[in-house]
Amino acid sequence: MTTPVLQTEKLSMVFPNGNKALDAVDLSLHPGRALALVGESGSGKSTCAKLLTHMLRPTSGRILFQGRDITGLSGRRELLEYRRVVQMVFQDPFAALNPAHTVAHHLARPLALHRPDLDRAGRGAEVRALLTQVELDADSLLHRFPHELSGGQRQRVSLARALAVNPAVIIADEPTSMLDVSIRLSVLDTLQRLKAERDIALLYITHDIATARYVAEETAVLFRGRVVESGPTAAVIDGPRHPYTRLLLSAVPDAGRPFDAGGSLISRADAVRRLSEGPGDLVYVGPGHKARTVDERVAA
Amino acid sequence: MTAPLLQVRGLTVDYATPQGATRAVDGVSFDLGAGEVMGLAGESGSGKSTLAFAIARLHRPPAHVTGGQVTLAGTNVLALGPKDLRQWRWREVSVVLQSAMNALNPVLRVSDQFRDMFRTHGITNRAEVAERSAGLLRLVGISPDRLCDHPHQFSGGMRQRLVIALALALKPKLVIMDEPTTALDVVVQREILEQVADLRRRLGFSVLFITHDLALISQFCDRVGVMLQGRLVELTTPAAIAAGEGKGGANHPYTRSLWNSIPPLHPAEPVRAQPDLVMP
Repeated sequence: MTTPVLQTEKLSMVFPNGNKALDAVDLSLHPGRALALVGESGSGKSTCAKLLTHMLRPTSGRILFQGRDITGLSGRRELLEYRRVVQMVFQDPFAALNPAHTVAHHLARPLALHRPDLDRAGRGAEVRALLTQVELDADSLLHRFPHELSGGQRQRVSLARALAVNPAVIIADEPTSMLDVSIRLSVLDTLQRLKAERDIALLYITHDIATARYVAEETAVLFRGRVVESGPTAAVIDGPRHPYTRLLLSAVPDAGRPFDAGGSLISRADAVRRLSEGPGDLVYVGPGHKARTVDERVAA
Repeated sequence: MTAPLLQVRGLTVDYATPQGATRAVDGVSFDLGAGEVMGLAGESGSGKSTLAFAIARLHRPPAHVTGGQVTLAGTNVLALGPKDLRQWRWREVSVVLQSAMNALNPVLRVSDQFRDMFRTHGITNRAEVAERSAGLLRLVGISPDRLCDHPHQFSGGMRQRLVIALALALKPKLVIMDEPTTALDVVVQREILEQVADLRRRLGFSVLFITHDLALISQFCDRVGVMLQGRLVELTTPAAIAAGEGKGGANHPYTRSLWNSIPPLHPAEPVRAQPDLVMP
């Protein structure tokens, strides 16, 4: 196994109002591999993204970048460099692009800022190469504005912008949840291909555990700020050990299977959530596969 | 055989634009029976929301109904005058929209929003309003003590349940749901739809359920319509789509391509084993 490019150790975040958003979370991201961070609204997954991109400072725990502790990183130059190597793709393709700028501008600007080696012509060529990489037609899209693009095309432009500065890590926060179901898979395929080709470490944040398999080699399930289960994606999806992971899996729309066939979920959901809040340790349940122990008596 | 609850015949809706009329809904016809749940699937821009808005007479310029008929329980919906329309809507047809955050007034208590709705429909007795509001909250699994809270004190899923409670308040015959759970995560989505399915069994209303998620429709609905570029290209049952091409229904290639784009949880299942049916 390669050394992690980005790693967290007991990462915790308590907001001033006392809300414990993250509680001792250990994650590691490896070059050319993806980790899916799965959880409901309020599970702490977006807080995690904000800590990793240095938009927030954790209240305790460490963030290591290529083995170096960067938790307390300060200074303009160092922050600029860190924000180049760790890029973000956001959920809302409508809000992430500036409506007043063309596609070409969105890609040329980060190049001008982070790639001083390129001259004007070099930047133009690079912009075209980036669009081709995200499977967009440069000739027809270069001078279009965001409102002239579909949601899927916009998300691809956001991805090209993240790639422009040659990052080591991409954090994608629900990159497909606002897209039509019919184009989600193709956007995920692109993400999956690029991370492998360019040796990027990908953190794929989602509430839909079903899509994790299409992008990520590893999956971590987050509940109320704590990892309740983590491991190889296939092991987590095919052999879930924690009741909360099973709950998430049973809620995934299962095409062609009427609700009644699976038994009611409502009756169990609250009991499972209560159970998952209790104390318990992450223990190995299989190769690389960990789950938090639960006290079954709480559910009763 | 009795007439269906809702009959839509050749419904056509145009948007007036500076470049002339753009057809958003193109000659759509279908029936919806009493107590039936019908799903309407399609991508962004397919006209599914415009169609639903026209059925509830919620469309506004630049959208214009330029043809067709809508009949609900014998009422010619497109001919209703403003006053009749105000009473008809919510008593006969109610609507649940995608963003429950915007559907509730953020500065009014929940109790006030229920009271306003009852008052509009002539129910003004304070004791009756209080009792019925509490009953509606219990119906969707929220404690009646929370009537005095403001919308921001509820989670997204609870707000959507409040909107559903409001939609059921006058016992409408038809509830139109336009992407009611798209902004919510999967567990909450499932909880809410199971609850709607249960309420439908108990109260007997019909549902027109609009979403881009064909997998969800196949779990929740009795029948499925598929919209493409303003036209209803398929009208079938979830079972017929699941059974695959050539076994009755699900013949339109677009339906197949939507169906095959669903990421299966366990890809060894047969759904994934038909990649040749995906449209190029």
